[in-house]
Amino acid sequence: MMAANNYFGFTHGGTQYGAATAGAAYGGQTGYAVAPAATAATYGTQRAAATGYDTAYQAAAATQAAAHAHAHAAVAAASAYDASKSAYYQQAAAAYPAAAPPQPQPTYDAAAAKPAYSTPATYTQNTIVVQGGARAGGGAKAYGGVYTHTHSHTATTAAASYPAQPYTAPAAQPPKQSANRGNTAYDTALYNAATMYVAQQNKTGGGGGWKNYNKGGVGAGQQRRPKPPPKAQQLHYCDVCRISCAGPQTYKEHLEGQKHKKKEAAVKLAAAGGGAGGAGGGGGAGRAGGGAALRCELCDVTCTGADAYAAHVRGIKHQKVVKLHTMLGKPIPSTEPTKLGGAKKTVAGTPKIAFVASGGLSTVASTSTKEQKPPQGDKDKEGDEKEDEGETEPEVQPVGQDYIEEIRGDDGKALSFNCKLCDCKFNDPNAKEMHMKGRRHRLQYKKKVQPDLEVKVKPSMHQRKLAEAKAQRLLVRDEIWARRRMHEGMEEEERGYWEGGMEPWWPRGPLPPHHHHHHHGMGVPYGPVGRRPETSDDRHVVAKHAEIYPPEQQLQDIQRVVSHTEKALKSLSDALADHARPKAQAGNKAQNDKKDDKPEGKEDGRDNQLFSFVGEGEAAAGGAEGAAAAAAGAGTAGTAGTAGTAAAAGGPRALKGVMRVGLLAKGLLLRGDRDVRLVVLCHDRPTVTLLKRVATDLPAHLAKVKAPGDDTKYKVELLPAEGAVQVSDGSINVLVSLTSAVMREPAEGGDIKRDDKDVLPRQKCLDALAALRHAKWFQARAASLQSCVIIIRIMRDLCRRIPNWTPLNPYAMELLVSGVMQSAGAALSPGEALRRVMEAVGGGLLLDHGPGLRDPCEKELVDALGNLPPQKREDLTASAQQFLRQIAFRQIHKVLDMEPLPKLKHATGGWKFPRKRRRSNTDTEGDQPNGEGKVVKTEEKMDASENSAKK
Amino acid sequence: MVRGAGRGGRGMPGRGGMGRPPFNRPRVLMLRPPFDLILAEPAFPRCKPAPDDSALTQALLKRHAELCPTPAEQSAVLSLVTKLQTVLDNLVVAPGDFAACQLEEVRQVGSYKKGTMMAGKNVADIVVIMKTLPTKEAVEGLSNKVNEELNKLMRAEGAGSVSCGCHERGFTVTSSGAASAAVRVLVTTLHQNLRKLEPEVHLDYKVISSHLAAIRHSRWFEENAHHSSIKVLIRLLRDMCARHSGLEPLTPWMIDLLAHHCIMNNPARQALPINVAFRRALSLVAGGLFLPGCAGLPDPCEAAHARAHTALDLAAQDAAAATAQTLLRVVARGGHRYVLGLQAFEGGKDISTEITVWDGVVVSPLAPAYQETPEPMDTDDKDDEGVQDGVAA
Repeated sequence: MMAANNYFGFTHGGTQYGAATAGAAYGGQTGYAVAPAATAATYGTQRAAATGYDTAYQAAAATQAAAHAHAHAAVAAASAYDASKSAYYQQAAAAYPAAAPPQPQPTYDAAAAKPAYSTPATYTQNTIVVQGGARAGGGAKAYGGVYTHTHSHTATTAAASYPAQPYTAPAAQPPKQSANRGNTAYDTALYNAATMYVAQQNKTGGGGGWKNYNKGGVGAGQQRRPKPPPKAQQLHYCDVCRISCAGPQTYKEHLEGQKHKKKEAAVKLAAAGGGAGGAGGGGGAGRAGGGAALRCELCDVTCTGADAYAAHVRGIKHQKVVKLHTMLGKPIPSTEPTKLGGAKKTVAGTPKIAFVASGGLSTVASTSTKEQKPPQGDKDKEGDEKEDEGETEPEVQPVGQDYIEEIRGDDGKALSFNCKLCDCKFNDPNAKEMHMKGRRHRLQYKKKVQPDLEVKVKPSMHQRKLAEAKAQRLLVRDEIWARRRMHEGMEEEERGYWEGGMEPWWPRGPLPPHHHHHHHGMGVPYGPVGRRPETSDDRHVVAKHAEIYPPEQQLQDIQRVVSHTEKALKSLSDALADHARPKAQAGNKAQNDKKDDKPEGKEDGRDNQLFSFVGEGEAAAGGAEGAAAAAAGAGTAGTAGTAGTAAAAGGPRALKGVMRVGLLAKGLLLRGDRDVRLVVLCHDRPTVTLLKRVATDLPAHLAKVKAPGDDTKYKVELLPAEGAVQVSDGSINVLVSLTSAVMREPAEGGDIKRDDKDVLPRQKCLDALAALRHAKWFQARAASLQSCVIIIRIMRDLCRRIPNWTPLNPYAMELLVSGVMQSAGAALSPGEALRRVMEAVGGGLLLDHGPGLRDPCEKELVDALGNLPPQKREDLTASAQQFLRQIAFRQIHKVLDMEPLPKLKHATGGWKFPRKRRRSNTDTEGDQPNGEGKVVKTEEKMDASENSAKK
Repeated sequence: MVRGAGRGGRGMPGRGGMGRPPFNRPRVLMLRPPFDLILAEPAFPRCKPAPDDSALTQALLKRHAELCPTPAEQSAVLSLVTKLQTVLDNLVVAPGDFAACQLEEVRQVGSYKKGTMMAGKNVADIVVIMKTLPTKEAVEGLSNKVNEELNKLMRAEGAGSVSCGCHERGFTVTSSGAASAAVRVLVTTLHQNLRKLEPEVHLDYKVISSHLAAIRHSRWFEENAHHSSIKVLIRLLRDMCARHSGLEPLTPWMIDLLAHHCIMNNPARQALPINVAFRRALSLVAGGLFLPGCAGLPDPCEAAHARAHTALDLAAQDAAAATAQTLLRVVARGGHRYVLGLQAFEGGKDISTEITVWDGVVVSPLAPAYQETPEPMDTDDKDDEGVQDGVAA
């Protein structure tokens, strides 16, 4: 007893063993069987080996005192055999020790040994596999047999996981006891026990049989009786086995056969130990299917459920027995099944049915032993209790009738059925019924039709592992999400990267003012403007811009000519002033001249502001005049000009100052532009006389201001119709217009009449004034807008190139572009800016019903584009619309009339690749897409297991 | 143990609706809304008298009156919907022996629910959310059951009969009364079931999720777009889109969003007059609202930053913009009667594809800009698979 206790205790603890009171051996096995609760399902099979081992062990160690006690207990329990045959069948393993003390044991061994060695190949092979993995130490060799054996069993079953633990445990154990027993004897015994099952395996053969075997537990193989004789001419009926034999010879053989003897012994035992039924029942319960079983008294067959029973009754085997009994005139028990609490002997019916009541496979409790529940997994308990209380298994409603299609023959009779969900066929309506209640079908139904369907599942080790893995993955995922939120900023960059796949736009330097564009309505703000990558559009625009931007040489030439002209004009103005001034002021003049030579004075109009000719000596008057000129320039106060005139009445200069206007002032010169404009502000209405004077005197002054080595020949041309003179050095033309703020005043009666004929054309003078204001406006408003100057240059180029755009006058175009930029509310990259301009024009901004372009340089509401005829507007709009779509579809090069730029590869490499590396290195983000996919995929499986685990 | 337990390597059929992983939609933040004259008003103050738009306004209102369904149509569809709703509600509450599927909820969606039905298209939409997975058999079973119950109900009232026909979205119940009406029953399933769908067993994933989207759309519409100007504009735009081939691909949901945007999205937050809104709609689409690279209209019923127009393919986006551009110029020249369909243009030709002359001004259609290029020329929208709104009508 001690040894046994020790032995079993190793796996499941002494207390458990102790709890299994009366049938010590069986109880022990019971406990043993349950101990690895997690592996219950698969364990069912291995238990066979376990018990086999047990048996062998006991047989081998029979001489030992402890084993004696054990065996004794076993004998006591064995009496149950007589009482209940069912106990025998399930308790095949149990039966062996029970039979051990008497003779059957040796017979066994002898009988079993033969087939055992008929399959040595599998033996050794499996041994290697299993041994390699699971075991250590001394007992390895001795247990090899057992191991291989079990392994061969499991290999045939569907259960994948192979719990090695229960076996390693005993494997480690024996060394302690090995002193007490001969190793060889032990080995032999083990082999015997093991091979017995192999023999069974060989006998039963087919997969179905094996499934049965697995489900039914130990000894299922033995339940296979030989096929009933086809005909019983002369009946040789064996009452014990309930079979008839074909002839006396076979009958005799049968009677001598191991099977019959076993049965006979069992029957006797059962009969003898009626009182020990409890013990037997206890043992029996160990194997019992748990589910309320239905028993066919006639065939001595237990079915797991009503369906299985029905199938059995319809089955050929049952029919044969009935026939046989009828022939023999034996009483035929009613076909009503006998309900059994827990014990079941056989599982009849198709393999599919085995799925139905699979819950009980590993259970040990039974009605008789329920009170003294052996330790076991909670789920098993619950399952058991439920089933026990219900007596009959709760009827499973067949589901998914709609998904089973009948395949009918020509006569309209259903030939076979096809389950669309499970993709399987049956020929038998019963099988179909079974299938519809079956677990597999229900699982499919749950998966494909009704996700909340309850399907009983055996929680297997595999599923538990999956559930754990899922929990872990969830944890990991949470962490990743948290981390990702932290890296939100980085993500922005990612977006930027994907948006254009290009290098950052305005890489360094101050960020543009951060406006949020308030998009009303949907409440989704368009994201903040941060560092942007340069898109392909941007690159094209920038490249085009570089192409049309004037070369340095051209700019210098223009600068030089303009500068000379300005200086000459200043000099001329001085000369005119001197000439006009009374002698009394000569001294003053001298002073002025000195001051003029001082270097701090402005050299020319380089800063695009008014270059005043007024010397500092004339401070008071000149200052006022300057202010007046500025005011006139801004177009705000014609009257201020008069005030200035009045203030300077003492000694006004005829030419007050010069200012750059137009392209030059706005910085919109393009490659090839040769014409620039200057505007000279005069004190009074500029007259033709004055203009002529300027034209004649200017060359001399030009020669004066020229640098010593400069041999540029300037040609001065008088253009009275334009109200201007043109200075030219052969390549660059500077148009110098004369105007005066006074020209804005309405012609007031006789005051002007006097020199009406002499005064330059009024419109030209006004235009020059407007040009002055436009230049000021541009510098104040447009030049500061992001991308605006670039886009205006691009648009200038466009207007030059494309006839449809030519009618758009430059100032209107500037107004349009600056308005579009301004309304964007945020800084735009060049590509975006160009597109937005096209959007505006394409959206009908310039069409007749549009608002028009208000000229900010005029006091009245003036449409800068008011004179554009409808057809021109139409063409302009249509052209912009086409351009817009071309830009949207990556054909901006067509709009810009240039070659498409190749995709950036090397240029961005430095920026791109480290990024990539970073992503894969941190592997939280880079690998996420893949990882997530996996998670999702497995999650679905998990779900199934999780749901079922709950149930 | 269970055959076919592995889900196969197919992965998810799609990922709409369930919170997209952010890495799949990286670009949208960078996109810019298009130029919108109404919003850009401060930069472009009106400097000339507003045109007299009364002719356009009159035409718009007249056309709308034509497009509204007649009372007979309305009552026909109303009675059918009510009956169907009753039948379906009964199935939700007390399925009885009906086991083909379990219903979770039944909702009216689409133009019927939104109040934007058009004359001559008397089709209402009802979405049925199944608790079970929407297999084709389940749909068929439901269809048969509904047919049976509905006919029972009709017989009791002595009001004609109905017939049911299954299709890939669910089934359509058609009543054969005096004024014919039809209700499309669109089948979908619970959100959590979406990923369990398998293409060969169940209805298409896209269809299913579009039906779920339709529910969201209806709800959004109820909350945000109940202003009647919006409904008027929706009818007009839908009619206009239906008559011009380039605009046909625009889904009802896009039109809903566009109409809402045009009417409500202005600095004053007051509904704009219909003529202004109509011009604005044309001008926005012409200005590239639905072109790639544009922020377009954010879809309020999808995860953040989804754009409504990405359900269109690139060629369709190009065609839609080009058509709207031509129509815009036609309307600007006073051709609104043709655009609105008050007057057929030269025997029913599509005016957006013809060269027209208005007071000596030639308005010509534009060539498509989109070309199939060997390299993917617009990677912008590649990964945007917007959930398409299946609810038309």
